[in-house]
Amino acid sequence: MDSSEFLHIEKVSKTFPGVKALNDISLSVRKGEIHALIGENGAGKSTLIKILSGVYQPDEGAEIVIEGWRAHSLTPIESAKRGISVIYQDFSLFPNLTVGENIAVARDIEKGSTFVHWREMRRTAGKILERLGVDINIDASLGSLSIAKQQLVAIARSLTYNAKLIIMDEPTSALSKGEVDLLFRIMRSLRAEGISFLFVSHKLDELFAISDRFTVLRDGKHLGTFDEEGLDDDRLISLMVGRKIEYTIFPKRKRTEPVLEVRGISRTGCFQDVSFDLREGEILGLTGLVGAGRTEILQAIYGINPPDSGKILLRGEEVSVHSPIDAVRYEIAYIPENRLAEGLVLRKTMSDNIVVTVLDKISNRLGLIQRDKQNRLAQDWIQRLNIKPNIPEMQTSKLSGGNQQRIVIVKWLARDSKILLVDEPTNGIDVGAKMEIHRILRDLAESGMSILLVSSELPEILAIADRIIVMRRGRIAGQFDGDTATQEMIMEKAILGIKQQVG
Amino acid sequence: MKLKIRKGKEAGILAVFLAISLVIALSSPVFLRIDNLFDIIKSNIVLGIMAIAMLPIILTGGIDVSVASIIAAVTVIIGNFMIGVSSNIFAVFVVGCASGAVLGLINGLLVAKLKIPPIVATLGTMSIIIGVVLYVTNGTWITGIPQNFINFGRTDLFAVSVREGEPIGLPIQFVFLFGAAVLMWFVLRHTLVGRGVYAMGGSVVSAERIGYDLDKITIFIYTFEGFLIGLAGSVHTSIMRQVDPGAFSGFELHVIAAVVLGGASVLGGYGSVFGTLLGVALFAVLNNGLILMHIPVFWQKIVVGVVLIASISVDILQKRYSESRMTRVDIEPVEG
Repeated sequence: MDSSEFLHIEKVSKTFPGVKALNDISLSVRKGEIHALIGENGAGKSTLIKILSGVYQPDEGAEIVIEGWRAHSLTPIESAKRGISVIYQDFSLFPNLTVGENIAVARDIEKGSTFVHWREMRRTAGKILERLGVDINIDASLGSLSIAKQQLVAIARSLTYNAKLIIMDEPTSALSKGEVDLLFRIMRSLRAEGISFLFVSHKLDELFAISDRFTVLRDGKHLGTFDEEGLDDDRLISLMVGRKIEYTIFPKRKRTEPVLEVRGISRTGCFQDVSFDLREGEILGLTGLVGAGRTEILQAIYGINPPDSGKILLRGEEVSVHSPIDAVRYEIAYIPENRLAEGLVLRKTMSDNIVVTVLDKISNRLGLIQRDKQNRLAQDWIQRLNIKPNIPEMQTSKLSGGNQQRIVIVKWLARDSKILLVDEPTNGIDVGAKMEIHRILRDLAESGMSILLVSSELPEILAIADRIIVMRRGRIAGQFDGDTATQEMIMEKAILGIKQQVG
Repeated sequence: MKLKIRKGKEAGILAVFLAISLVIALSSPVFLRIDNLFDIIKSNIVLGIMAIAMLPIILTGGIDVSVASIIAAVTVIIGNFMIGVSSNIFAVFVVGCASGAVLGLINGLLVAKLKIPPIVATLGTMSIIIGVVLYVTNGTWITGIPQNFINFGRTDLFAVSVREGEPIGLPIQFVFLFGAAVLMWFVLRHTLVGRGVYAMGGSVVSAERIGYDLDKITIFIYTFEGFLIGLAGSVHTSIMRQVDPGAFSGFELHVIAAVVLGGASVLGGYGSVFGTLLGVALFAVLNNGLILMHIPVFWQKIVVGVVLIASISVDILQKRYSESRMTRVDIEPVEG
């Protein structure tokens, strides 16, 4: 490691049960450098950041060198002591306290003092804000500031720790153009003082505007670190995508009958002017980067956060879905993120697990469960999803993994829905279970159910979606047919949007 | 802007307090008489100390429903101590505060170490403590408090003569309320633990990340609360000159109501000692006014409940609204 480097890591891997999130990563950050970390969702960026901040410990054999100091892993305290400061997307600030206290109280905590020294705290905070050249009243309540100013407060706070490397995750995602300019100006002036930045972003124009070097991750592997020269949008996108598709590709169907028509819906701060059709018996993939507004669309259709304007038509008739209760009445089901990774009560029978979401439907007026109704319902679903063996009273733990996965889905389908909204159904589960869920979703579509599938994983979308909608920053950026789309086509829309087609 | 709203909240409470006082004063001339005012103060000192004790717990977003049981236990302990061991005033207060602190410490350990939600933990200790108190005392009153303690309790700070009867003055117990308020203000404003209380109320995750020891803070605030309840129990005994183990049944609701009326948010993070004192004053005047206006006592309970729910609802609706409108997606502007 040469002396111009602040941080150097090598052979950093991280294995979670069933998943290798990082595989032999090396990375170096120079002093006074703005270094961009790029990769698709799930490429391992967050895991890497968590290793640098000491939240995760890397696998055996990792080498971490910070200004000549060597270690195999970090703790949060060590990481902070060595000058690494992470600004999380929620900033970790206190809305109910003043700007000054938010910036400077950490010093008193670090010293373990009994009393807080308000005068010193205000002076420290004032000096740092002055150094950043921003005009924020240190006595204002933090909650009264704009997001951009709160972010600057978070940066100011990391300087009180003598941070030498500031790590930021998508720092510009909630900022306006002018606010981004201010942030970049401050980043450049801190760079001139020798402070380094490692930051994650998907906005290529901003990346090119501010970064000195780029490190690209894909599938947990380090694809390379590049200087700005010789790198353009196309090259960067092709570096990011291109994950191997290890899934079965299902034949796609052309469906024509629209079931759900979304017409120009908008919701402040969530999405703008979104229109699409969901057709009978199809899987419509809704993809894009995290934070593009995909989940918000599902929640709008399901009535959790209804749109401010626009129309939703169900089989040609306009409906107003103001709450999940309405949605259930219109036979819409919603499986939120991670719900499929949550398990079953293995000691209970298949039948008991299937009916937990529909206890109201199978109980009588006194609220007592009617066994015959329960058995009929369970039997019916076991047949529809072809779960074997066909014995509702069997203990769930005795089923194979794939059949258990089916039961998990049935749990959410037992409400007898025609439209299924499902958000990242395979997040955090192993490949085998993923493919099982793919097969189940395809089977459901073949049997006539219309599925709106949100997924960040391009291979997954390409494997099972009949049609694909790509979102970017709250708007629809592109539409593709499932059998002709490629990862590059989708990623280009997701990152660049409609208008900036860089040739 | 939010700060202004909060400051506005205290000003609002002050305005409501003055308005209610005016209405009562107009309909009942007795209200503003000096002896009635001193009487209001004297009968709400215990409530005041307890509300101040509860404030930090509400500030962290927690709650303690065992406060009435704790003060009942404290009064029984010092009652027996005075009769059986010593009626030295200093010793009595030390025993009262220490026993309160121990009971508070138990709550603190349950919440901090076993991670039991505060409402559940204190509901449990509430039942256990009052059960033990009733078992020990069999519900009977402790009388025969030593004369020196009674004399101490009767001391007035500066007596004023009113037309009939004996002179009346500011009760000595007021000093303890004042002391508790100043102490709590200092702790919350100038100690790291106090700032940690506000930080926890603002965001537990952030407080942990920045390095506050949340367990230590939690244990401290419950123990400190117990300590002040011990003080309140000693003060109460000096006012009442006897111990009724059942005297505080339902009192926890009054304490919580006073804190919430004083502008503290049940969601944590917002509230002050000054606001809490205003809340106690509002509660006290409301109470006194209803009595002076010959309105049946049950109305007091109804009014308290309504005001409590109303002020909590405002907090929760405000928070929910601002969360639901929070920008989650940076929407791409249209061409241009």
